[in-house]
Amino acid sequence: MTALPPPGTPTAGLDPLSEQYEAGREMLGIEPGLDAIDLVEIGDSTMELNMGPMHPSTHGVLRLVLNLDGEVVRECRPDIGYLHTGFEKDFERHTYQQCIPYTDRMDYLSPLFNNLGFSLAVEKLLGIEVPLRGQYLRVIMCELCRLASHLLWYGTSALDLGATTAFVYAWRDREKLLDINELVSGVRMHTSFIRVGGLLADVPDPFYEMVGAVIKTFPKLIDEHELLITKNPIWRQRTLGLGRLSPEDAMAYGATGPVLRGSGVPFDLRKAQPYSSYDHFDFDVPIGRTGDVYDRYLVRMQEMRESLKIITQAFENLPDGPVNTTDRRVALPPRNELNTSMESLIHHFKLVTEGMRVPAGQVYQAIESPRGELGFYLVSDGSNRPYRCKVRAPSFSNLSALPHMVRGELIADVVAVIGSIDIVLGDVDR
Amino acid sequence: MGLNNELIVPRAAGRSILLADAGTIALPRTGAAERTALQSGFVTTTLGKVIQWGRYSSLWPALFGLACCAIEMMATGAARYDMSRFGCEVFRASPRQSDLMIVAGRVSQKMAPVLRHIYDQMPEPKWVISMGACASSGGMFNNYAIVQGVDKVVPVDVYIPGCPPRPEGLLDAVMKLQKKIAGELPGSLLG
Amino acid sequence: MSGARAADLLERELPAAVRRRDSGFDEVTVWVDRADLVAVCTLLRDHPDAAYTTPVFVTAVDWPDREPAEPRFDVVYMLRSLQHNDVCRLIVQLTEDDPHVPTLEGVFAGMDWHERECYDLIGITFTGHHDLKRILLPTDWDGHPLRKDYASFGEPVAFTHNLEWALPAQERPRDMPGGSR
Repeated sequence: MTALPPPGTPTAGLDPLSEQYEAGREMLGIEPGLDAIDLVEIGDSTMELNMGPMHPSTHGVLRLVLNLDGEVVRECRPDIGYLHTGFEKDFERHTYQQCIPYTDRMDYLSPLFNNLGFSLAVEKLLGIEVPLRGQYLRVIMCELCRLASHLLWYGTSALDLGATTAFVYAWRDREKLLDINELVSGVRMHTSFIRVGGLLADVPDPFYEMVGAVIKTFPKLIDEHELLITKNPIWRQRTLGLGRLSPEDAMAYGATGPVLRGSGVPFDLRKAQPYSSYDHFDFDVPIGRTGDVYDRYLVRMQEMRESLKIITQAFENLPDGPVNTTDRRVALPPRNELNTSMESLIHHFKLVTEGMRVPAGQVYQAIESPRGELGFYLVSDGSNRPYRCKVRAPSFSNLSALPHMVRGELIADVVAVIGSIDIVLGDVDR
Repeated sequence: MGLNNELIVPRAAGRSILLADAGTIALPRTGAAERTALQSGFVTTTLGKVIQWGRYSSLWPALFGLACCAIEMMATGAARYDMSRFGCEVFRASPRQSDLMIVAGRVSQKMAPVLRHIYDQMPEPKWVISMGACASSGGMFNNYAIVQGVDKVVPVDVYIPGCPPRPEGLLDAVMKLQKKIAGELPGSLLG
Repeated sequence: MSGARAADLLERELPAAVRRRDSGFDEVTVWVDRADLVAVCTLLRDHPDAAYTTPVFVTAVDWPDREPAEPRFDVVYMLRSLQHNDVCRLIVQLTEDDPHVPTLEGVFAGMDWHERECYDLIGITFTGHHDLKRILLPTDWDGHPLRKDYASFGEPVAFTHNLEWALPAQERPRDMPGGSR
C-alpha cells in the first residue's frame, strides 16, 4: 500500500515505480534510498496494555499486563500480590483456635470451607473425629456456602458481560443464604462457625425452617437464573468456544474444581477422598466437554443443583446428638464440672489461655472448595501454635493457567475468561 | 427545591455549621417553607447550599473493591439494601468520574501506592469512606504485609467498624458523609 | 495410605534417589536429594503406575534451630495423581548457605508460580526458572517473610501493660496507668 502524493507536488499522479517519480522525489529533497512504501506501512508493532489493579472486571485487585496485536492478545502476564495479607505468617503467631477467624478471611466467598479445611487438618493431627451430627451440619453449612459462592460468581461474571439483571437476581437469592449464616453465627459472611473439634454451637431452631425453605425454593430459583442466561444468544456468543483449556493442560497447570471439571476431568475431592462423611450422600459430578467458558458456566450451574441434593439428604437424615467432640485435648470441660473439680478448672483455664497442644508431625488435608482443591499443609512441632501452615489455594493454580487460556483471544474476551475461572484475590494472594 | 433549611444555619462569617442531631439525616424533606416556595414559584437560598445539595444528593463512588468488604459493598448496591435510595449507586469504573472512594478491605503494602494514585486521579471535591476494620486500622492483620489503616495513605472522612460491616453500616456511613458535605461550603466559593 | 504408591515406585525404580522414607498420620513422605529431583518427578509423572501429573504446591519449611545436625530448609513438593487418586509428598533438604533446587517448570507447567511464591516468601532459589522474581510482594521488598527470623509486626499496639514498649515516651498519655513512668 502506498500513500498517494498530494496534488500539486512534483510526484503527483505518477507511478511510484517510474523514473519520473524518483526524479520528482529528488526535487523534493527526499533521499533516493528511502522507500515510500516503508513510510506508510504499519509495522509489526504490539501494544502493552495495563489492565488493573483497579478494573471493574478483575474481581478484585488483579493486574494483567497484556501484550496486544491489534485486538488480539499475544501474551498475558498476571501481576498478583496486591492483596497479599500474610496469613501464613499470622498462623504461626496464633493458637490453633485463633487461626480459625483468619481462615475465614482468606477466601472470603467460601469462608466455611476454609474453616473446614483447617479444622480437618488439625483434627487429623490430633486423631479426633467429630460426631456425626457435627459432620452433617458441617456439610449442610458448606454446601449452602457453595451455593452462595456460585451465585455470586454467576452474578458478577454475568455482570462483566453486561447482564445487570442476573446480578440483582443472584443477590436476591444470596441474601437468603447469608441470613442462615447470620442465624447460626451472628454474622453474614465470616462466620467462623466450624471450629477445631466441631462447631461453634448447635444450630438454633429457626435453622430447620430456613434450610427447609432453601431446599423448597432454590430449584425454582436456579431455573430462573438459567432461564436468564443459559440460552441467551448474547451470553452464548460471548462464551462458546472461548478460553479453552484441554484436560492435559488443566492437569499440568494444577487447575482444579470447576475449571478442571469444565475441561472434562471428573475429579471431585468430595468423591475421590471423602471427608466429613461426604460418602454418605448421593450426588453426581458434572463435567464439561470442551473446556470453554460456557462449559465452566454449565458445570457451576449443575453443581448448585447437586449441592441442593446433598443439603436435602443431609437435612433429612440429620442425626441427633452432640456436635462437638468430647476429647478433652480440644473440648472445654462442661460447666457443672468446673464447680466441683479443680483439675477441670485448671484445664479449662489452660485451654482458653494457652490453647490446645497438637502432636508434632505434618499433614496435608485437601477439601473441595467452590473453586477447587483447597489444601492445608500443616506442620506442627508439638506446641500450641502451627509451626508452618501452607495454604494450597485453588484460585492461585487456576489463575496461573490464565495466560494459556487467553493467548490468541480478543481483548474483550479476557474479561469473560477471568470471570469463568472464578478467582478470589484473597485466595490467590493470601 | 428541597433544601433543608432547618439543618443548616448560616453564620455571620459566611460559614455554615451543622445543627442536626445524630438521628436526623440531611436529606431533602418537604416542609412548610418548601410548600410556600412551590406555590409562589420562588425560592431563596445561597449558591453554596445549592451546590452542596447537588453534591451530597448524587455521590458517585469509584468501583473499587479490595477484599471481603467489597462483597458487602456489592450487597449494599444490590437488591435488598439498594444503595440508590440514597443517591449513591452510580459506581464508576473510572476514578476520573467519581467523587467518593470507598476503601473496602485491607490495603497491602503493594496496593498502597496504587490506591494513592487512584485517589489522586479523582477530581475535587472528593471524599473517602474507610470501610471495615482492616481499612480503618489494619484490623486483625498486624503484620508485615498490611498497611495499618488507610488514613496513612489518603485522608478519610468516615470510618466504618466491622469485619466486614453490614450493608446497613455502609448506608449509615453514606448518610453521615452526606450530612458532612451538607455542612461544608464549596471550595470554589471560599476563594 | 496416601503417597505409598509413589514411595514404592521410587524404591523400586530409583532406589538410589530415596534418602529416607517416613510415614505418619496416614501419609508417606519421601526425602530425596536435589540432584535427583528432576529425575524423580519426571518418573513420577510419566510412569503409568504413578501418573502424578498434577502439581499441588511447592513450599518450604524453615527450621533455623536444628542446624547443623540437619539442614535448615525443607522444600516440600506435593504431587497429585488423578488417575490413581493419590497425593504424594517429596522433601528436599537444603542448607542455609546454599538454598537452591533445580526448577520443575519443565516437568509441570503449574510449578512456575508456586516456585516464584516459594522464592518470594522463603527465599529458596530455583535454578533454571525462566522468570524467578517476586510474585506476591513488591519487587523492591527486603527479606523473605516466612523465614522464622523475619519479624512480622506491622505496628506495635499500645495496651496499658506495654506502653513503654509500644509508644515512644513523648506520645505516652500522662493520665493513663503506666503513662507517667
